[in-house]
Amino acid sequence: MTPLPDSLLEAVASAAVREGLADALYTRLDTPVGRLVVVQGASGILRIGFPEEPEDALLAGVAAHAGPRLIASDRELAPTRDALEAYFEGEGDPHALPVDLSLVAAPFRRIVLETLHRDVGPGAVVTYGALALAAGRPRAYRAAATACARNPVPIVVPCHRVLPGSGGIGAYGGGPERKRSLLALEGVLLTAPRPRPTG
Amino acid sequence: MTAVALPPFWSLVEAHGDELLAHARRLSGDQHAEDVVQDALLRALRAYPRLRHADHLRAWLYRVTTTAAIDAHRSRRRELPTDDVPAPAVHDTYDEGAFETLIAPLPDGAQAALRLRFVEDLDYEGIADRLGCSSVAARQRVSTAVRTLRERLAA
Repeated sequence: MTPLPDSLLEAVASAAVREGLADALYTRLDTPVGRLVVVQGASGILRIGFPEEPEDALLAGVAAHAGPRLIASDRELAPTRDALEAYFEGEGDPHALPVDLSLVAAPFRRIVLETLHRDVGPGAVVTYGALALAAGRPRAYRAAATACARNPVPIVVPCHRVLPGSGGIGAYGGGPERKRSLLALEGVLLTAPRPRPTG
Repeated sequence: MTAVALPPFWSLVEAHGDELLAHARRLSGDQHAEDVVQDALLRALRAYPRLRHADHLRAWLYRVTTTAAIDAHRSRRRELPTDDVPAPAVHDTYDEGAFETLIAPLPDGAQAALRLRFVEDLDYEGIADRLGCSSVAARQRVSTAVRTLRERLAA
């Protein structure tokens, strides 16, 4: 059988948004770091997933939190897609996109990610320790690292700009190679990685 | 938040949209099928958070699509020029009574076949077991029942 035509799906999505029937919208976006799934609620981007993450589990996780009426639409999320595409073409920062960090349950981790989103722009990097300090708990660098590791909105909340104070590129939810690619895109060039455990 | 863990709605659309469109074509013809599916998906979205369980969602979508198809037929018929045109009854959502009301005028055998397929969500093997016939015959009975529904209610 043939799948439903895009025109029909987009018409349903538009009508659903107009009527307030969508708990969240999502779109799949091909980028230089792979195909991303971007999920957006009424107040901002809730979730960005890298291709290694099974999409059905990702969407089920958002649905459990935001409600089950998840709707895919490239057209309704065109501004978000445009901003992310511009970023990957080296034209700006998706920083201006609103994010909704309500999937982050732990209050301090949420503060860490809000601080990171607000304060660390493209071209800049910060250490886990400095991020913990900026978030108000100077000694909580491990909690800051955990917040980054579990960041539900990578790229837009720039956990790729957080590096270990001891050197090297450190860990990244999407893998260290993606972290390096994103930093290179922003003009931050790092020397070859030193194999070391990071936290 | 809902009390039951319903799957993300669009995963149902992506999994079953094609067969719903085929079902709408059988009921409404090629010309109207896409409009019927669009209407059905919006009705389903409106009703979705109120579902009490997450079982047989595919069959549920078939029932919503069937109801949308028949309503579309009826409102098109009402749009034919006549002296007294009642305002078309717009079902803005879907409730579980609608499907039973729709199939109530059909012969018992047709009702039974439609329920096995679109309420109990059985495949043709399962329907064959219940009716004590072959799966080819089961498919035939459902197909005949769908045709009867179309002819009796929408002609």
